[in-house]
Amino acid sequence: MTSELAFRRFAFTFGIAFAVLYVIALARDWALVTVYPSLGVVLLGTHHSKDVADPAIGFVAPAMYWYGWTATAATGALVLGLLTMLLPDRFTWRFGPGWVCVGPVLAMLACIYLTLPWFRL
Amino acid sequence: MTIALLMVHGLVAVALLGAITHQTLAAWAPVRGRPGSFLGRFRTVPSASFANAIVVLYLISALLGAILYLYFRIDVRPTLEREGHWQSLGLFDLKEHFISIGLGLLPAYWVLWRRPCTDESHRMRALLTAVMAFIVWWSFLIGHYLNNLKGFGL
Repeated sequence: MTSELAFRRFAFTFGIAFAVLYVIALARDWALVTVYPSLGVVLLGTHHSKDVADPAIGFVAPAMYWYGWTATAATGALVLGLLTMLLPDRFTWRFGPGWVCVGPVLAMLACIYLTLPWFRL
Repeated sequence: MTIALLMVHGLVAVALLGAITHQTLAAWAPVRGRPGSFLGRFRTVPSASFANAIVVLYLISALLGAILYLYFRIDVRPTLEREGHWQSLGLFDLKEHFISIGLGLLPAYWVLWRRPCTDESHRMRALLTAVMAFIVWWSFLIGHYLNNLKGFGL
């Protein structure tokens, strides 16, 4: 029962934290890795070719950040989830499990807001 | 190889779409349907038994999508950029964001469907399943839209 409660805490915390951290990673451009698919190269951290070379490099070797944003959110959520697993059972979920639905929906709305520039082009 | 992967991705997505749609409708439909009715028979299928399959199908579909995304970025997206399909690319970006958020929700979704159902957990699982269903439907439709966008040179 104790381990089940602990995993429940982990699962709910992971879900909410993942959604929030994903939006932060997207907004702040915090990618744990940058992928260059045409070169077959994966670099640790966020790299913009225009910062270190000619902006035209972006056309020759496009960078992908989605994997990095997902990895950032997953790593952060994993740490937070594991931390909540360590809490004694008497620490109940203070926010209520409803946040596991509300948090991701708000995160999706935030993603829509951050994607709006595409629709103004 | 890419086309084979894309077809497998599509087939897995169809299976996932069917399972999550059935589960969502069963979770939201009234419990007291007429016994012989379509809704009544629909409701008698134990929705909880879909949960493991949905988690596995979602993971496989996301993994295949993540592999295909590499080819999309090199071979497809530059063409769409050149031709100014900015709104379509925005819709695709949303698909990627929603899929990631759905990945994060999988443990909570699994826990909710695994536990015995109380009133509160019934509401929670119905809501969370609806969110997951929205993500799966959005991804399926946008994926198909992007896939077909240049099919007839429109």
